[in-house]
Amino acid sequence: MIEILQWSTLAICALVAAARIPSTLRGENRSLFGIFSLMTLAILLSIQGPYVVIDQAMGGINLANLLLRFVIFGAIFFLGVRISRGFGADSAHRLITGKAGMVVLVAVSVVMVALFFMMDTAGSSAGLVAISGKDARHFALVEYYGAAGRAYPAYVALALLPSMVRAVRDRLPVLVRIAAALLALGGIAVALTLLFPVIPPSLGSIEFIINYTAILCFVIGLALIWAARVVNGRSAARRRTSTET
Amino acid sequence: MTLSAKAFQRWLQSIAPDASTADVCRISGIKRTTLAQQLVRGKVSVSTVVSISRAYKINPVAALAGFDAYRVLAGPARPPTRNELVSQISTADLLRALLVRPAMEAVHSAEAPALTPAPHATSVKNWVDAIDDGEVRHRVSAATGVAPQNYSAQLTANRLSPELAVATALAAGVGPAGGLVATGVITEEEAGWPPGARQAALDSLSDGELVALAGERLQSLGKVLRRQEQDQAQTEKIWENLG
Repeated sequence: MIEILQWSTLAICALVAAARIPSTLRGENRSLFGIFSLMTLAILLSIQGPYVVIDQAMGGINLANLLLRFVIFGAIFFLGVRISRGFGADSAHRLITGKAGMVVLVAVSVVMVALFFMMDTAGSSAGLVAISGKDARHFALVEYYGAAGRAYPAYVALALLPSMVRAVRDRLPVLVRIAAALLALGGIAVALTLLFPVIPPSLGSIEFIINYTAILCFVIGLALIWAARVVNGRSAARRRTSTET
Repeated sequence: MTLSAKAFQRWLQSIAPDASTADVCRISGIKRTTLAQQLVRGKVSVSTVVSISRAYKINPVAALAGFDAYRVLAGPARPPTRNELVSQISTADLLRALLVRPAMEAVHSAEAPALTPAPHATSVKNWVDAIDDGEVRHRVSAATGVAPQNYSAQLTANRLSPELAVATALAAGVGPAGGLVATGVITEEEAGWPPGARQAALDSLSDGELVALAGERLQSLGKVLRRQEQDQAQTEKIWENLG
């Protein structure tokens, strides 16, 4: 069940990224292609099979997991910048690109890297599950490391959330409002990841569902905005020809 | 409100006893599937009755008056008020009329062109404003159970369901068919408005009244246009960054 979710999310994300290639070559919003590519890479790195292959190539000490965290940070940062600028959310834009955002990003990164190197990370294991099982100290370190990795995305998601909720109620094209609702839902899902430590291990699959809901909402939301633009471009072209005749 | 299929069938029987549904559709230009669907659901729309009435040369207002929900339309047509008449003149026509008034120092007193028939782009909102004593919206929503914000949303979109159009006319104490004219369901002539009544109402406005009215119309038009432009700019920005 979770495998299906992982691979289908990967497929959707990779498809959208591939679909962006023509417009990227034309020079339209190149960073969107970057966001989709980073997200695809992040999903790839969170699935056991590809993770082990990549990590073995990187030395087998789970550096791929650290890479995954920074890939997510990069994707969420650019996502935050584009969305806040597109939706005119100046306060969110300041929170993400301003001093506060940089402080959070650097602090979280430093803590995360420090925690990573405090662990004995030999032996590739997606999600550091095997590392966490080594002893109580490693269990705690992995928990903190995971929390640090979720903190920055949650910060950006919470910064964006108010403007997304506002956009849903704005007089915007329907597709854009649906997209804003999906982005808001994705933001809520990312914020919920902060609560992972209190979720009992028996409900562990909920964590996966929340993670992949967030990614799917972001990817589909962004794709919808793009679709809305294409639809609008077409109807505008039709209007132009109908007035000419 | 829609009309019950039963009452509709009875009415159809009385005006075209031998016609099949296919005949009725052909004569009135209604799509067969549309009518069939309305009959199956048991809800026939007002515009269906209006189209069929016109095809059979019956006054649509009189036809609608035969249905329970629109009984108030029965009886001799009540003449529209001057405000109602003026509300059904498009802003463009008002401005044209204004330009040939002496107040605008018209050197050549050219005739303004004939008025375009109602409805116009803001005819519904203008009509309600013309008959509103300040409490009409509340009375309508109390009488029909339609929430005030839904009512306002319809007005903003220059729409009003036939049921609400009649309810609004009743609540304002004007002729019951006026709203159906403003919403374009029926023509002025069908509502029994005297020919040339709008032109006469326009002519009866003093220069001052006309200028003030045109000013109000332009102001609200400006507001709508500005809002549209802002929405458009916001959408463009989203597409520029995320499209």
